[in-house]
Amino acid sequence: MQRTVLERIEPVADGVVSLVLRGAAGPLAPWEPGAHIDLALPNWLTRQYSLCGDPADRDGYRVAVRHDRLSRGGSEYVHRFLRTGRPLDVSLPRNHFPLRPAPEYLFLAGGIGITPILPMLAAATAAGSTATLVYAGRSATTMPFADDLRARYGDRVTVHPTGERGRPDLGALAAALGPRALVYCCGPAPMLDAAAAAFPSPRLHLERFRPAARTFAANRPFQVRCVRSGQDVDVGAEESLLNALQHAGHQIPSGCREGVCGSCEIAVVDGEPEHRDDIGAPPGRMYSCVSRARSSRLAVDL
Amino acid sequence: MSSTSIRRTRPRRVSLDEVRARIGEPDAMVRAKKRDHLDHHSRRFIAHAPFLAMATSDAHGRPDCTPRGDYPGFVKVLDERTVAIPDRPGNNIADSFRNLAENDGIGLMFVVPGVREVLRVNGRGYPTDEPDVLARMQIEGRDAQLAIVMEVAEAYFHCGRALIRSRLWDPASQALAGEVPSIGQIAVDQMELDMDPADAEKILEADYRQLY
Repeated sequence: MQRTVLERIEPVADGVVSLVLRGAAGPLAPWEPGAHIDLALPNWLTRQYSLCGDPADRDGYRVAVRHDRLSRGGSEYVHRFLRTGRPLDVSLPRNHFPLRPAPEYLFLAGGIGITPILPMLAAATAAGSTATLVYAGRSATTMPFADDLRARYGDRVTVHPTGERGRPDLGALAAALGPRALVYCCGPAPMLDAAAAAFPSPRLHLERFRPAARTFAANRPFQVRCVRSGQDVDVGAEESLLNALQHAGHQIPSGCREGVCGSCEIAVVDGEPEHRDDIGAPPGRMYSCVSRARSSRLAVDL
Repeated sequence: MSSTSIRRTRPRRVSLDEVRARIGEPDAMVRAKKRDHLDHHSRRFIAHAPFLAMATSDAHGRPDCTPRGDYPGFVKVLDERTVAIPDRPGNNIADSFRNLAENDGIGLMFVVPGVREVLRVNGRGYPTDEPDVLARMQIEGRDAQLAIVMEVAEAYFHCGRALIRSRLWDPASQALAGEVPSIGQIAVDQMELDMDPADAEKILEADYRQLY
């Protein structure tokens, strides 16, 4: 965790505020475009927000937060109750959405999904790549940073209010794409689904803010061996691996508890995990909040 | 008379007039602080309250008071005259729902740790399964099963004397916990179980692991 102080909170579009978090004890940990942090709110909830400022600015992090009409307590708290000067702990930045080198990029952003795209577009442009952005949102007033983007990048940015113009034609964009172009998309689920249908998967990189709706086989109990402590922990069918390990005394960080943020990653030593996250666990790793076991036993490095 | 026997003579009852004669009328400030809606102070208090006591009663006025707790702000303020309280497994809320079906009066007392004053909110309640309300109460991917919607009739901050006198937030007060029986001991005695209280305690602790 890193201690910050909320230096500024200000509206940047209808229903969207921007937060500047200043490092309380000097420079903050470095990050690359696409990274996000966990923000620990005073109401005990932890929420993940993409960093949307300048990676060269080591003194502060910038994030933007949309007030979700069906807020479970995160965005509502940020909008209604958070005050400047409040100390706030944030995690080290994590990046599940890194920018791979390419000569050409197409960025697709939907609404608040613009946040990770901002530093990506800046980095791609600075690297001399051909980079274009299609930025969709319900209406211009609800879309943060649209004016800045147009001022800075001119006609390489298309601001697309869906209320007036419908959804962007991803098929046409796909047809116009160069052979070595990469596509980065962040937005609501329908936009991600449309992107997955329009672009070949090796070229497409997605980031979700909420888990994709999926169904899994019924939960089964399993046992996990913690190889370093020599402990065997039973995980009941109705219990998460993360909860069982935490109750057994292991200090595992946790954030979203729904397989999106990646803070509860653990190393698997033996057995076959059943991955249920939306991140895509690297080999030998799993996200203990949602993932379970295909085998009756797992061994983990704890 | 042994300590477990029931008293034969009850303490004497006094009338409301006698009560008034002893304590006087509530002063103007106390009356004025009652509001018919949740102002920004009340909303901020509710957003930081992880605990409340909820009182309901049945058609005959038989009362019930039950604790509710979760992360701060678990009670959702839908607007300045409406709040929604989630129902989670293990709350044994059935008494409250049965009462509300007969008598919709409901009283809440919100508590913020470290704050001596409490927020009292009284009004009328009913159960709901409205998806947009339950979605706001989702934790660890699970929705609340039901919620109580409460229409606010009055809201006011209650003075801190009770919490000051009770030293509720003084960490030293937690020494009292060592002087009362453990839940394992209580369960073994009250249910006449042939079991070691420590084992009963373990079973109950395991049950507490599943909070949602």
